Amino acid sequence: MEGVYVTIGLEVHCQLLTQAKMFCRCSTDYIGKTPNTLVCPVCMGLPGALPVLNRKALELAIKTALALRCEILPEVVFHRKNYFYPDLPKGYQISQYDFPIGVRGVLEFALEGERRKVRIRRVHVEEDAGKLVHEGLGVERNVSGVDFNRAGIPLVEIVTEPDLHSPEEAKECLIMLRSIVRYLGVSDGNMEEGSLRCDANVSVSLSPDTQGAKVEIKNMNSFRSVFRALSYEVERQAALLREGKFPVQETRHWDEVRQVTVPSRGKEEAEDYRYFPDPDLLPFRIPQDMLEEIKATIPELPLQKKERFMREYELAEPEAHILVQDKDLAEFFEACVREFPAPRTVCNFVLTEVLKNLNAFNMTIRESKVTPGMLAELLRMVERKEIGISLAKGIFEEMFATGMSAREVMAKKGISFLTSERDLEKIVRQVIEENPQSVADYLGGKDKALHFLIGQVMKVTKGQANPEVVKNLLLRELTSGE
Amino acid sequence: MPGHVSLEEVRKIAQLAKLSFSEEELTRFFQDISDIIAHFEKLNELDLEDVSPTSHISWSQPPMNPDEPVDWQGSDLVLKHAPCAAGRYFIVPKVVEKEEKLS
Repeated sequence: MEGVYVTIGLEVHCQLLTQAKMFCRCSTDYIGKTPNTLVCPVCMGLPGALPVLNRKALELAIKTALALRCEILPEVVFHRKNYFYPDLPKGYQISQYDFPIGVRGVLEFALEGERRKVRIRRVHVEEDAGKLVHEGLGVERNVSGVDFNRAGIPLVEIVTEPDLHSPEEAKECLIMLRSIVRYLGVSDGNMEEGSLRCDANVSVSLSPDTQGAKVEIKNMNSFRSVFRALSYEVERQAALLREGKFPVQETRHWDEVRQVTVPSRGKEEAEDYRYFPDPDLLPFRIPQDMLEEIKATIPELPLQKKERFMREYELAEPEAHILVQDKDLAEFFEACVREFPAPRTVCNFVLTEVLKNLNAFNMTIRESKVTPGMLAELLRMVERKEIGISLAKGIFEEMFATGMSAREVMAKKGISFLTSERDLEKIVRQVIEENPQSVADYLGGKDKALHFLIGQVMKVTKGQANPEVVKNLLLRELTSGE
Repeated sequence: MPGHVSLEEVRKIAQLAKLSFSEEELTRFFQDISDIIAHFEKLNELDLEDVSPTSHISWSQPPMNPDEPVDWQGSDLVLKHAPCAAGRYFIVPKVVEKEEKLS
């Protein structure tokens, strides 16, 4: 928008991929579990229970901060953030305050192929709250139920500086952040299931020299809703400013149904969390060797991988961009290229057929039964002209559905080498030669003659050829013979 | 202002802690808290220019848990002793706001 200056900062929470909770040994595998079964005196805040830090949670938080190029603060100090809410059993959340794990980092991402940067203000670790349910077994209409299975799962909170200047940038930045936490294996980054949550601060001004009011947006449960909520909010604030009014500094909720943001009914008064160091948890220094060990586990990150793919495999930016968003997909691609060194062919097939089939079955590449070796074999058969590309696509679908190799699919479907494209070509030419009248009829405009010719090819192949392939081959031969 | 607390602040602290007191009680707490703060004011007489803030006196490596889940069998008992429970849920007055409070 012309003359509208947008400033956005993000606050992202990711559930860390530990097996046990942050300060007790309850399982974190809470999705779909019977309410209040993954609980203990610590995560339910029973009197006298003492928290003991899960080493892995700390390691994953440090790994996140390192990957975001943060300075790691040498001391780990936990604070109590005090507030009352039914999903918070202790009356406080164990969090971090003036000594977060990491500060002053940088996150790089790309918007339409162009490198962008957002500064990271802080990365800290804290515990998740329980879940409130408004309907369920035993939960009457006038009450709410509390399930503490989620309470105490470790979270990493990542706060950016307000360096983003459009909803598009904010969305791409968030997608990159998800990609990074997945690459690192620190979180599964699933917004729909709530293992990645994002709040945003937006301010809009009509002049580059003034700052608008900071409005916090919550309740955005997908990348699309982040984009839509921010777009709506920018528009809303800009409209107010144009009328000479000023937006109020407040927290607003994204209403997914109505596609609008609405003011939160929360307390008007500023929150006062009365942070203080948790006396149950000793502050400690991160041992240098622990830092070094964690550093060594950080893999190549998405942006570096994309640039390497563009350099090494001569892929275009948009293709490389899609490939590297999913680390497993990028690895599948590379493994396939190792066996069939034609990167662009592999890339095309992966971005079209592989993704199409994954989406159709709502699967990830990790769940796919097709190995990189199996795809390489299929592509080799196309290269040797044993089969055509359209037949290859059909075979791939079958491979994907059954886990069979390309040759197994061909055997099962009765697609012998006779019906492979190279052999079919011979039969097609033979049929053309033997039926000059039909050829003349077709070229004279009688479409029906083509069906007769297809039928002849099918007869010779005893019905084993793919009629679509036969038709295409016939058309190619007939038109090239003109 | 260091070393002082107002009656209003005491009222606010009580409110944040979800505690309600009579005016008499508030006045008493106001007096007590003022005395406690005055006592701690003595620390300001020390020159602590070169001392970094200390949140705990111990700096040893604390014990940490391995990342291996362990079942706890007492949840039924906790539900049984809860002020209000139904099914497998702890029951609380209706929470109107949809948001899950966490930031």
